[in-house]
Amino acid sequence: MTLFLQAALSGVLVGGVYALIGIGLTLIFGVMRVINFAHGELVMLGMYATWVLFSHFGWDPFLSVVVVGPLLFLWGALLGSTVIDRVLGALPQNQILLTIGLGLVMSNAVMLGFTSDYRILTTSYSSSSFELAGVFVSRPLLYGFLVTVAITVALYLFLLRTDAGQAIRAMAQDREAAQLMGIPVRRLSILAFGLGSALAGAAGALIAPTYYIYPQVGGAFTLKAFVIVVLGGMGSVVGATLGGILIGLTESLAAVYVASGLKELVVFALFLLLLLVKPSGLLGRTRA
Amino acid sequence: MTTLPSPDAPPAPGHPTLRRALPFAPAAALVLFLTAFPALQSKPYPLHMGVILFLAVLQGSAWNLIGGYGGQYSIGHAAYFGVGAYAAVLLLVRLGLAPWFGLGLAMVAAAGVAAVVGSITFRLRGPYFVLASIAAAEILRLGALYFRNFTNGAEGFVVAEVPALHLFGLSFEFAGKLPFYFLTLALAVAAVALSRAVLRSRLGYALLAIRDDQDAAQSLGIDVPRAKNVALALSAALTGAAGAVFAGFTRFVDPNTVFSLTDVSIEMALICILGGAGTVEGPVIGALLLVPLKEVLRNPRGLVTLGLFPPGSSLVGFVQHHLSNAHQLVYGLLLVVLVLFAPDGLSGLARRLVARRRSASPAAASP
Repeated sequence: MTLFLQAALSGVLVGGVYALIGIGLTLIFGVMRVINFAHGELVMLGMYATWVLFSHFGWDPFLSVVVVGPLLFLWGALLGSTVIDRVLGALPQNQILLTIGLGLVMSNAVMLGFTSDYRILTTSYSSSSFELAGVFVSRPLLYGFLVTVAITVALYLFLLRTDAGQAIRAMAQDREAAQLMGIPVRRLSILAFGLGSALAGAAGALIAPTYYIYPQVGGAFTLKAFVIVVLGGMGSVVGATLGGILIGLTESLAAVYVASGLKELVVFALFLLLLLVKPSGLLGRTRA
Repeated sequence: MTTLPSPDAPPAPGHPTLRRALPFAPAAALVLFLTAFPALQSKPYPLHMGVILFLAVLQGSAWNLIGGYGGQYSIGHAAYFGVGAYAAVLLLVRLGLAPWFGLGLAMVAAAGVAAVVGSITFRLRGPYFVLASIAAAEILRLGALYFRNFTNGAEGFVVAEVPALHLFGLSFEFAGKLPFYFLTLALAVAAVALSRAVLRSRLGYALLAIRDDQDAAQSLGIDVPRAKNVALALSAALTGAAGAVFAGFTRFVDPNTVFSLTDVSIEMALICILGGAGTVEGPVIGALLLVPLKEVLRNPRGLVTLGLFPPGSSLVGFVQHHLSNAHQLVYGLLLVVLVLFAPDGLSGLARRLVARRRSASPAAASP
């Protein structure tokens, strides 16, 4: 039982960060109808930015989120306005090829700059943990989860309470109708791509203390983010939140009860199964 | 390579059979030249380049069948490449089976995996299909890494020796580059011929209809799942053959190489799309452009071997030290530029430029 609780708890904590990655992806899809295959590379950029801030300036990774998030927002907005904007109405396969290309450019540019060495970000509390009723809670994972919750709450407030947030939700429902109502579709698309990138970058900062940092790390996150988003229904922010936690749980339990080398395989197999049984996702209504 | 005469072109003079064969003359001449090429020079490096190039043509043409004609953008063809490579090597290492049968069984194994993957992924469309195809290939890669007893895990297998092939009382040694040169040339020519045959067949028309509008194709009575699955099986069998020959040629197989997302799955799609997806000549053009680029970036010493650069050239040294993994960066840039400026590939771009020139000066159109 303790083993189960332990696995479930770490699963939920990691899942929170996965949720953040998934929310970014689903936000971009909801507003722009673009499938961003470079999403994991944005997480990777966030990890490297955090690592640079830590190793050169001694910044704590959980504080540097405040810098890394906006930095990735700017990068995302730049990509959104210069490249992604040009394929908004294009065939989905062309959008996919374009974002795959962008991902390759990002990961290999980082490789040129930082080599392909594995980096580790070790803070003073990296391996410490709390004990709670016999269950150990890793400190960096818990901090990461708490920051994730704060960011998610802020994002929900933004989407629900502000005009821009309402406009974004309107665009996710019906892009053309939103345009007819006078919503500046292009500007909000760029905002959404920036926001999605910022969330991916923030997630990268939060997991930097617990993961190996290397240029190719993004690929695994891209695929996982898709599993999360499809699970929750493309375009649904609530769905992505739940999907992230569910995937974190699945991975963690699979690592304990199946084999740690097979946790990702289990996730992908479940993903294919889900696509077969309920392609609209667990919460989704229709496929866009 | 095999451009057809447009219907309104004036009939060429001569015998009807000769006239029909005429468009194939350049292709036949090219194949003849490539067959004679090893007799003209016997340095190993150009032969090595030939093998890599022919494999790329084979892979690009294989992907073209389902991705180009059918419009089903699979980014998971590493699944079939890897299964082909592992099938051939496992049969050789575990059972000592001769490579000729290994090659055939590798094709069968890849087509078998394709039947399973297709039955799952072809129910999906657009991005969902792409994702599912990637996930299927990743499952095989992770499985090959994990099940060590069967696959030797991340270490993979080193093939010490490829046994000689005995056929009709003759013995073919699989040592050196030459046998692989002819084998891959034959496979590449077969793949191009097959993709031309498919394009002009019932299956080809069905695939093009599905690519343009799947619902309309279905309502016209085309058996959509059947067409997709047959095309994928053919595509996978060719890809499996490429994997098997690649494993024999490099004498090494490991999960991260043969199931690679970038270096197999994306590369195959890129070869085809670069030249022009959905055309017979597209994968050939794509391979001709991409392979030299990739080889120069990965192994710039080859240029010294060819005598194009002096030994100790500072440019070669720079590329080797700083850009040895940069072929992926170039792939990325190519994908971005292609989608933005030439979404129908280089052959499509050329066609559009010609059409624009013609419409700009109508007088020049009639000779």
